[in-house]
Formats: sequence, structure tokens, C-alpha cells
Amino acid sequence: MVDASVAKRLVEAIIGNLPAPVPGRRPVHTIGVGVKGEFVASDVARTYCIAEHFQGRPVPVSMRFSNGLGGLEQHDGWSDVRGMAVRFHLPDGTASDLIATTLGEFFVRNVDDFFEFAKVAKLEPYRRRHWLLKIADFLRLKVPPRNPYPNETESVDAGALRYADGHRFSQLGIFQVGLIGAPESYARASYHAVHTFWVTAPDGVRRPVRFSWQPVAGVRNIPPADVSHDQYLFEELKSRIKRWPARFMLMMTIGEEGDALDDPTKPWPGTRMRIAMGTLTLTEVPEDPEDQKAAGERISFNPCRLAPGIEASNDPILEARLGAYEVSREMRGGCPFRWRPDDANAK
Amino acid sequence: MPMPSDERAIDRWVDRLPETRVFKFLASWILVPLWARLTPVKPLPGGPHPSFQRGDNVQCMMNLIMPLKDKSPVGRAQAALAIAQNKDAIFAGLNNVGTVHFARFVIVGDNICMFSVYDGDFTNYIRDFIATIGSVFNAVVELVEGGEAVIPCENNVEAFIQWVHERDLYQVPDTATDFLRDQEALNGDRAVSPVNDDLTLLPRKLVLQLRANANVSLGSGYRAYPGFSAAQVRERLGLGW
Repeated sequence: MVDASVAKRLVEAIIGNLPAPVPGRRPVHTIGVGVKGEFVASDVARTYCIAEHFQGRPVPVSMRFSNGLGGLEQHDGWSDVRGMAVRFHLPDGTASDLIATTLGEFFVRNVDDFFEFAKVAKLEPYRRRHWLLKIADFLRLKVPPRNPYPNETESVDAGALRYADGHRFSQLGIFQVGLIGAPESYARASYHAVHTFWVTAPDGVRRPVRFSWQPVAGVRNIPPADVSHDQYLFEELKSRIKRWPARFMLMMTIGEEGDALDDPTKPWPGTRMRIAMGTLTLTEVPEDPEDQKAAGERISFNPCRLAPGIEASNDPILEARLGAYEVSREMRGGCPFRWRPDDANAK
Repeated sequence: MPMPSDERAIDRWVDRLPETRVFKFLASWILVPLWARLTPVKPLPGGPHPSFQRGDNVQCMMNLIMPLKDKSPVGRAQAALAIAQNKDAIFAGLNNVGTVHFARFVIVGDNICMFSVYDGDFTNYIRDFIATIGSVFNAVVELVEGGEAVIPCENNVEAFIQWVHERDLYQVPDTATDFLRDQEALNGDRAVSPVNDDLTLLPRKLVLQLRANANVSLGSGYRAYPGFSAAQVRERLGLGW
């Protein structure tokens, strides 16, 4: 368990690298939209996991889609990691969270790696590469850095690349961030929970698993050269859900002995068994501002808020996120939530 | 307030440069050969990446590309006939071995290709088929460049297995960075951190590798039911043995 001082330092390291942290708001994934929906488990889900939301009864869900960048400037059309945080509201009044992003693998293995990354990948001025240097890149069969977006003057890209050049475990995550693009819709991206969890089946068998949400409408990005889109994702989602429900399938991949269970930088092979655990239907983007806040902004998701039947692995980043999310929640005045029905300290 | 763009006409022209025919010609005929000389890469070996894990040893992919000796419609017809005349032998062999999910012979240009999905170890897979359908292999390989050296396959088992392995395509990993790890491993470099890499060289490394390995299989392939052997699928579907 990461102690409170380390969790605080983690959050401070993130905030320290933001152009303008926003009091009362999440330091990263600041821009987001709350959505209501319903999850129904598949007929096989209960054979793999005893968690309440996998037993087949429809479970109401609150979720928040978000852009990864910190700050109040909304740039939907910029290449950026997107978030999909889901809270399953269980019948006993508790909940189970599943936090996923469009980034399949993380770029650091543990807290020490993260602190080093934060020192190297600082915000730096970001300018268009000179055309002569671009020609030199082409002659060397290299791809030059992308052009800055309109109004983009700073970026961590160069620092992140320097870190990746020095640490091979980070290269996949950082490379994927570079290519991630901008989705046509929050409902047309795949989201990955990255970390390994352990699920317990009715017969007591525990399995290491990783979760992903796959959009039923398919994955689609806007063309990379299209820089005219900047604020479209919220309205797109509202109009999409008004026309017909948007859906995601929850896929659970089962790891094998020898797979990286505690290392979020390492992917699992495509040859692993994957189970369709259920379908999430997005039903409403609340329009009333108070309903919208309740559906998204006020909820304090935590990747370690897990129903009985699901446990966190020993992934050091997952452990660190438990504390970091709580520190962030306290800093912005987010609502605490009962972790278990018998938690006497919670409201 | 949007800031004025600093993009000039020369910037737009340079950004479009790689898509122009002139640049593509320059890249293909001058730049790639030049960089292949300056930073040579070795061909990467074909077949699935070795793994002791169960999921990696079922539904393995084999992608054989075998150039025909006779590069004409007659040559291609002979290859098609060699398969058609041995249909019973092929089906009997596949049913008896029981580890093959799918197998196809395909003619692409002047090549006869064999694409299959099988369970277990590669050498055992080829050995099993030499034993059950060796005559079919002989009929096909006789039509292929260099094939006479390893037939009859029943008498040249080890050489035949090696020959097939050399024609099994390199399977480019699902992630670009795992491809870099394959190149590094071939050069004996297994360092993780600290290193002094240059990720911006990835495009060049990929281009040069695809020059060394002209035919490749892209990614690990999509599987509707990964992790299951042919025997398990047949058992669960009640298809008998």
C-alpha cells in the first residue's frame, strides 16, 4: 500500500506539470461529461466472477467520459487519451468502479519510474519544426514531430520521447500516446482498464484478468489532418444517445502463468482467452446541470473500489492510484463514498 | 481568441513531400538502399515467437510462401492440380493428426502459399504431416524452387523441417515496439533500462526490416475463440473424434 505522503507527492507531481491547475476540479481528465446507463451481464459472466454486477440482473451505471489533458481548455480534436470511468451501483448501496482509458498500456512500472518520468517529461514550448529539419528527417527516413495544433504552445511530447528513448519498458505506452488520435465519438473508442485484477468464480477459482470496453458501433477516429474540430464530443454524445442507445461490450481477458500480472507497461498476447462479460447501454446524458454534476463531476471514482469477487493485483501503479485518487478527491472536495456497507467512517 | 497560424506555403509543401511520386521514387531507389548499406538489418526468423505458455501454443499460425519453378499459368495450373489430386490424402491427414484448425493452399502470383492454424510445436506439426501426408508435400514441393533438395520429405525429415521453417513468414508483433525488441534480440541486445534508443528511427527500422523480410504476417492474427485447441473445440461442440 502506497503511503499517504507518496500519494500526495504523486498528485503534486502531476499538478506541477500542468499549465494552470484548476481548484476544485480533477487535475487531469478535467474536461468530462457524465452519462447514465445500464449494465447487463452475459449468461456466462457469473461462471467467472461472483461480483454482484456479473450475476445477470440489470445494474444501473454512472459513467464519465473525459479528455486526458488537464485544464479547462476543451480540445476534443487534439490527439489525446480519453477516459471512461464507470460506477456500477449495486443493490446493497455500495458500488464497484472500473476506470479505463483509450491507452492500452501504461508508460511506467511503479511509483519511482513515475517520479523520474515527471522530472523528464515537463511541459516545454512546442513549435512547428523548421521545414529544413523536416526535409532532413525525411532523408533519414524519419517521421518529424507533428505540427502543433492551433493555439498549442506547450507540450510534454518531447520530454516523454526523451524518457522513452532511455527506458524500453515505457516505449509502448508513449508510442501509443503519440498515435492515439481523436475519436469521432466517446462511444467509438475502445477503453482499457490496463491493470490486472483477480476475479473469483463460484467454485473459488481465482483468475488474473484485464478488462476492456469495446464499442458496439466500432472504433473510429477523426482524420489526423482535420484540425477544425475542437469542441464536439459532448454534443455528439448527446445527439447520438437521443437517436439510439450507444453500447459497449465488456471483454475480460484471462491471463496465464508467465504473463505480466503486476506490470502495466506490458500487454498480454492476443492469444489469451477473452470472455464477453456483458453489455453496457448508455441511456442518457443528463441536461440539467445538477443532474450532470451528480452523474459525472461529483462522483469520485477509484480503481480500487471493487465489489466482492474482484480484487486488485499487486500492480504498484494500481496501488498508487488508490491513494492518489483519494488525495485528488480531498483536494477538490469530491464526495467520499462508502467502500463497504460496514464502513463506519464513511457517510 | 485563436492565434494566427505560423504555417507558410513552404511548410505546407514540405508536409506533403512524402506523398509525392518524386519523393517515393527517391526513397525507394536511393534512400532505402543507402540506409540499408549504412545500417544493415538481418532478416528476422519466421514462425510464431517461442513461448512456453499454453495460449501461445494453440491456434499457432503458419504462413508459407513458396515460389514456383514454373512462373507461368501452366506452372500455376500444375500446382493447383497437385492439390486437387490429393484432396483425400489432405483431408485424411488433417483428420488423423487432429491438431489443425484450418489449412489453405493459395496461389498468389508465382507462389504457392500454405496458410494454416495449428496447435502445438512447429517441428512436431511438420513431423506429423510428413508421416501422414508426406506424398502430398512431395508433390507440391517438387514444383517449388529449391524443393528437390529436401524431397522425398520422408527421407529428409530434419532438412525438410528446416526448409519449411525458412519459408514460414516472420510474424510482425502486434505492437511496433515489440518489433524493435525482435530486432534487438536478433542482435543480442536485451537491455531494458537505461538505454540510448531513438524512437524516431522506428519508421526507418521498419522499412529496412521489410526490405530484409519482403513477405511478412502482420500481427498475431484475430481469433474468435483464443486459447482453445482443435480437440477442445470439437469436444465442446460434440463433433466427435
